[in-house]
This record gives sequence, structure tokens and C-alpha cells, in this order.
Amino acid sequence: MSNFLLVGFGATVGAFLRNELTLQQSKIKLDFPVVTLFINIFGALLLGIFTAQIHNGAILLLLGTGFCGGFTTYGTFNMELSQLWFQHRLGRCFLYFVLTYVFGILGFVVGIHI
Amino acid sequence: MRKRGEVFLFLFIGAFIGSDLRYLESLIFKTNNGFPLGTLIANLSGALILPFLIHYLQDRYNLSSRVVLTLSTGVLGSYTTFSTFTADTYHLYLTGQWWFLFVYLTITIVGGFGLAILGNYWAATRAFNDYARRRRGRRL
Repeated sequence: MSNFLLVGFGATVGAFLRNELTLQQSKIKLDFPVVTLFINIFGALLLGIFTAQIHNGAILLLLGTGFCGGFTTYGTFNMELSQLWFQHRLGRCFLYFVLTYVFGILGFVVGIHI
Repeated sequence: MRKRGEVFLFLFIGAFIGSDLRYLESLIFKTNNGFPLGTLIANLSGALILPFLIHYLQDRYNLSSRVVLTLSTGVLGSYTTFSTFTADTYHLYLTGQWWFLFVYLTITIVGGFGLAILGNYWAATRAFNDYARRRRGRRL
């Protein structure tokens, strides 16, 4: 039961931070979903660091499964991809796709090793 | 709804539900061979439902911006996860489970995009059917 509370509280903070950052997207004069890109890469990096440094299962649930899981998002990423696709901005769509997956996975690996 | 406290409250409710649903699925679909089935199911279902919510349910049921924030940014944003996907990928790579790694990467990468496209078509089809039904109703 307490595991569910840990995940839930961590995810709440993660989701709130994600929302605060996403609100900045409209202020950026760049026609590209850079905020979600940053959130997913940075969240993967953080999860790598937490996985390597934290050996307490409960804290890892709070910060890893909870915070990083709630901070990063796969649904919004794919929704933005599909929007670029339907707008026929295929170059941007492909770039967003490649940048997210390559630097996301790389981010986690870097996080594990620093 | 621009007050931070209010936003926090709605995201608190949404993120709690979404993240614990994902956690629950990771427990239910725990496999003996280490394949991350729970993450996969959460991510794929979330990728399908999000466009349907934004492009259909929102208009169909006149959902307020509070409800949409709770459901999209809160529930579905926390239900799906990118960081756990990268962790799962690296774990499969480290343990040398190449076949699982290939299947997991392919289904996540192709499936997520495909289901998001499908979610858009699903929303458009439902919206069109509703419109056609209203037109028929008026003519009768």
C-alpha cells in the first residue's frame, strides 16, 4: 500500500514540473516541441543517476517509478509526433522522433555511468 | 485555473491515478523472463487514448479545462513514461536478451507512433459519425 503512495507522490511532483515546463513552450520562438524533448531526455538522465546511486527500494520507487515516470511522458511525445505527421511536416517529425529515442536512451546510459 | 495551487491539486489527483495504474500494471504483467510487458502495455494504451481524449472526448462531453488537464497532463501523462522505457532498454541490452530488446524497441517505437495516428483517426471517425447522426435526426 505504501508503495502506491510513494509512486503517486513522486509522480505528482513530476507531473507538476512537467506542466510548468510545458507552459513555457508557447514563449519559445521555435516551431518544434523542444520542451517535451528536453523533459524526456532529462528525465531519462535523472532515472539513470537514481538507478545507479540509490540502493533503497522505497526511495527508488518515489524518485524513479514515481517522479521520473510521472515527469517523462510517452503519450504526449507520440501525440506531438502524430500532429507533425498530419501537418505534413515530415522532416520535423522524423527529427523529433530520432532525437527523442537516441538522446533519451543515451541520457539514461550517461546517467548510469556518471 | 491559472492559480498554481489549483493546478497542483488537479495534477495531484491525475498523476496519482495514472502513475499507480502504471505501477499496478507492472506488477500484474510481471514476467518471469524479464520482458517489460507492463511498461509496454501502459505506454501503448496511453498513446492511443490521448489523441482520442484531446480530439474527441473533449468536445463530445464539453469537458472543462480542469478535467482535460487532470486527464491528459495528469492521468495519461503520468500513466505513460519515457524514462522507464530507456531503463528497460538498457537492462535488456546489459543482460544480452537481444531478441527481447529487438521486440521491445520495435513495438515501442513503431507501435506508439502507429497507435497515436490510429487514435486521431478513431477520434475523427467518431466525430464524423456523431455529426452524421445529428444530420439524420434533423431530417426525420
